Amino acid sequence: MTVLFKTRRNRELALVWFLLIPALAVFLFYRVIPLLWNVVLSFSFWAPGKPLEFAGLYHYEEMFVYDDAFWVVLKNTAVFLLATPAAIVIALGLALLVDQRIRGRSVYRMIIFLPYPMMVVAVGIVWRWLYNDSVGLVNYALRAIGIIDQPIAFLESYDFAMLAIIIAAVWQIVGFFMIIILTGLQNIPPHLYEAAVIDGARAHHRFWRITLPLLRPSLFLCFVLGIIASFLSFDLIFTMTDGGPGLATEVLITHIYKLSFELSRFDYAAAVTVVMFLLFILLTVIANLLAGGDAGKVDIAD
Amino acid sequence: MMERTARLSCISVIASALLSVPALADEKITLLTWNIPMYGDNIEGWIAEFNEIHPDIEVEWINKNGADWSTFYQTQIAAGTPPDVVDIQGALWAEYAANGHLLDLAPFLEDDPDFASRFVEESLDFWETADGELFMVPWYFNRTLIYLNKQMIEEAGIETPLESFDDIMTAANQLSGEGRTGFLTTNFDWLYWPLFRMNGVEILNEEMTEAAFNTPEALETLTALADGTKSGAINNISWTGRWVEPNTAFASGNVGIYMAPGAALFWAASQAEWINGDNIEVQDAPGNWWGTNHHGLGISATTEYPEAALDLVKIATSDRWQVELSNFFSILTLNQNIEQALIDRFKAEDPLKGRVLELTNTHLDKITGYIKSPLESRIKDAFWTSVQPALLGQTDPQAALDSAEAKVNRILARQ
Repeated sequence: MTVLFKTRRNRELALVWFLLIPALAVFLFYRVIPLLWNVVLSFSFWAPGKPLEFAGLYHYEEMFVYDDAFWVVLKNTAVFLLATPAAIVIALGLALLVDQRIRGRSVYRMIIFLPYPMMVVAVGIVWRWLYNDSVGLVNYALRAIGIIDQPIAFLESYDFAMLAIIIAAVWQIVGFFMIIILTGLQNIPPHLYEAAVIDGARAHHRFWRITLPLLRPSLFLCFVLGIIASFLSFDLIFTMTDGGPGLATEVLITHIYKLSFELSRFDYAAAVTVVMFLLFILLTVIANLLAGGDAGKVDIAD
Repeated sequence: MMERTARLSCISVIASALLSVPALADEKITLLTWNIPMYGDNIEGWIAEFNEIHPDIEVEWINKNGADWSTFYQTQIAAGTPPDVVDIQGALWAEYAANGHLLDLAPFLEDDPDFASRFVEESLDFWETADGELFMVPWYFNRTLIYLNKQMIEEAGIETPLESFDDIMTAANQLSGEGRTGFLTTNFDWLYWPLFRMNGVEILNEEMTEAAFNTPEALETLTALADGTKSGAINNISWTGRWVEPNTAFASGNVGIYMAPGAALFWAASQAEWINGDNIEVQDAPGNWWGTNHHGLGISATTEYPEAALDLVKIATSDRWQVELSNFFSILTLNQNIEQALIDRFKAEDPLKGRVLELTNTHLDKITGYIKSPLESRIKDAFWTSVQPALLGQTDPQAALDSAEAKVNRILARQ
């Protein structure tokens, strides 16, 4: 045993493992094992307190062939994912604005960032009030400027409910994205812009040829974090619409919750969770490929 | 020497700290209730009474709101630590009973006629299976009635009581317009189902093996409700809201007819002074059909202390504590020793509450939308998610019924 610690390298390795083990243990017990159990459950019939019974592909057949709710929910999840690119575009615009040398830019940055640390449930309740058809500010404003005659119950409407939630989701996350992009902007070496100006490049050329390519790691990070946030955006939807009206704002994560805890279908919910996990992996791989295959890489050689 | 003294000091501090911890009761039972945090003082009263009989058993009271209740209960079941005594709403008990999580209380009631005789006899049927097993006893009882906004009804010259579905629809049309809607209903837990049942529509066949709702009468009813919603005669909150939203809408005074449990009306009355005996007329739904969200108390099959758990249930449903409950929530308890006296007192003190409770206590055999099946929640979800879009004008009513029928039959086929 003591031989292991004789060399400096082994002692350093032991220290590294010693420091890593708590995090790895948490990852194993709270991520890997539940995920594996979930996969097992998805091929079984099970209810709390009952023994497992092998179900083969029953739940997957149910999901893909018979459960039209699953396809509606999948479509809604895809639509809800649009909040991410929308938020990134807005955040990029805001980051470019507050990166300028304007008076009070720190205050603007803080104001834009402020919604992000707010509790999601509180955000949901505030936006519910804003959208309310009797006392909501949105209806009041739209009527005051003459865009609508009658109040619209946004969150009870099949046409507007999802859009209303996307707006709330974008509002909350845009400040966080802006900070990430702003950091990326400030890491771009100024001499690149100076050289471009000397070469006669116009502002939009500098944006497309210098700013955007060099922001790739930041944008990729925003994209991945946005996808995660969209997939896991349970609180906001649960608070604002509970997935309704009908299934109009139901996404995979709220659907899984309801399948488990309202309908006691833990086994079927496990199958939907497996599909959601695979989709999530697929999207991340695609995003990485689109970003050049090494997005997010940190070059420590410098 | 110094080190030894320090060690001894540490040991003595730890030992004295351990010894000073008050002795905990070795035995414990857990009570899970559904969204009644405000009733805590009375629950503490039960526990005090319980501890007079079982001084060595600690009672832990856990209260969860409606959204968290099933999550908590199912997690506890999965962990093998379900609460010993549990308060369950509506027909949810059937699933837990079928999965072996609840104790059959029938033998306990047979052994103790005094305990059995306190309950309104036909009320025990709500929790009894076809095999004669009884999984819950009544705790409190709440059912749907129809409430009429007298001023709107009189202004429109509508004759009451409303005696059929057509009467309701005609009145709703007459009452609507200029920011007013004619009819509003609560929709969770099948509370809207009396509208279908009064037209002769059943959810399942008698054997509970197939859907029975895809009929011409159901299509006519669904189409009329969808048309009424589109025209504004029916408030669309009927199909989108849950509790606060419809109650608040009725409290606004702009809705003519409201179908909801008594507790919903009292909640609305707490928000609006105009809701009182002078301004509200109460009637049964046509055919006297009603939906329920009543609550019962059951005991976990795995409890280590069934006798003690039963004693707690006996205390909770005793005359003394049921009078307290009834007074606190203005609700019936299905305890026949106290029910009539309470209704009489409410009638003298608050005519609206008296009238609501008096009607609630009638036609107990006309319950509808109450499926004593382990698949109840899945059937409810399959039906509602298909039919709700039709009610809101998003799909064709016949297509909605066809879709609901296919889903429900698939669920039933998996039994």
